Amino acid sequence: MSHDDHHAVVIPAPGSEFVPHTVAHHFSTPVQEFQAGKLGFWLFLATEILLFGGLFAAYFYFHELFPQTFRVGGEQLDWRLGALNTSVLLLSSWTMAMGVRSAQTSQKTKTIVYLILTVLGAVGFMVIKFIEYRAKNEHGLICFGHLFDGYDMASGQVSWFKDYHGVMANVPHGHMFFAIYLTMTAIHGLHVIIGAIAILYVLRGTAMGRYHAGYYLPVDLVGLYWHLVDLIWIFLFPLLYLVP
Amino acid sequence: MSDKTQSDHAQGDGHAHGELDMGHTHVSSSAMFMTVLIALLFLTFITVAVAQFDFGSANMLIAMGIASVKASLVIAFFMHLKWDTAVNKLMFLSSFLFLSLLFIFTLADQFTRRLDHELHTTPSEPVDGAWVQPAKSDGPH
Repeated sequence: MSHDDHHAVVIPAPGSEFVPHTVAHHFSTPVQEFQAGKLGFWLFLATEILLFGGLFAAYFYFHELFPQTFRVGGEQLDWRLGALNTSVLLLSSWTMAMGVRSAQTSQKTKTIVYLILTVLGAVGFMVIKFIEYRAKNEHGLICFGHLFDGYDMASGQVSWFKDYHGVMANVPHGHMFFAIYLTMTAIHGLHVIIGAIAILYVLRGTAMGRYHAGYYLPVDLVGLYWHLVDLIWIFLFPLLYLVP
Repeated sequence: MSDKTQSDHAQGDGHAHGELDMGHTHVSSSAMFMTVLIALLFLTFITVAVAQFDFGSANMLIAMGIASVKASLVIAFFMHLKWDTAVNKLMFLSSFLFLSLLFIFTLADQFTRRLDHELHTTPSEPVDGAWVQPAKSDGPH
């Protein structure tokens, strides 16, 4: 343990392209700062697991109640786009891991390249997601313009579920699958967007030379967040696109 | 790992001990990350491939089993949890314990409802029917 020092600790930078890191005043050692940051972030990720866990519980519950609805609903999604998005996210998870590794080894240029590739993965994912949402909107399976209109007494349906082509006509509660699909993928998509913004933030810091072998905590934490986004999608893909 | 020693040397002040601890942070090899990526992409292919076959009630178990293997790879290697501290492992992995509680009690409720429905000899069926499909009156259209 460090003794009495309450003054800031400065971690020297390995080269001229980097800037030294000053340990926050409420930490006595860089290790304490690192470990506290990591512990706090893992705790946050645990709450993320529980957030999505509630949605997964809802999925399993309604899947058990209306297996046919989920089977037919899943057939309305394009599994090829889902598989493509899975690959995009896996690849971007890999570039993120390599980015963190580059930061750990003080390779600034490589870190920047990997982080940019990761952001491109996030953008690609959201573009594909948008294409999918647009198709659902066109078929009236999720009418994005009526999401908050509530229950339509006349049709006896929720307002956002029109099902123009009657694909869900022969199964009970056809909107149920799309309600689950939209809730889960939209909250996941929100995480993708937040993750991309966080990556841009550490990208800026990397360009400014803030992160190196002596201090790379923010890159590490953003990396963990990005892997979590990937982790959730790993379960969403088979459940929604290939309804078991 | 050469930069580890380099950074250890750089910390010449009174915090050298702390910096040595800092240095234990695991830096994975690029080859390992590449292997994990290939495994993940391969397992994605397997996920799609097995979905073409109907294994009945085992479908869900198989799909979730493969997804769990993929998730474990991401957590252990991409997220470095394999080399993280015990308290961080406990912190994160315990969330899955609590998640399993949520699943177990939700599904226990669901399965016992069905059991209750099947065991009823009194004419309670309309009540259960109304519970399962409250909007039956709209009918398919």
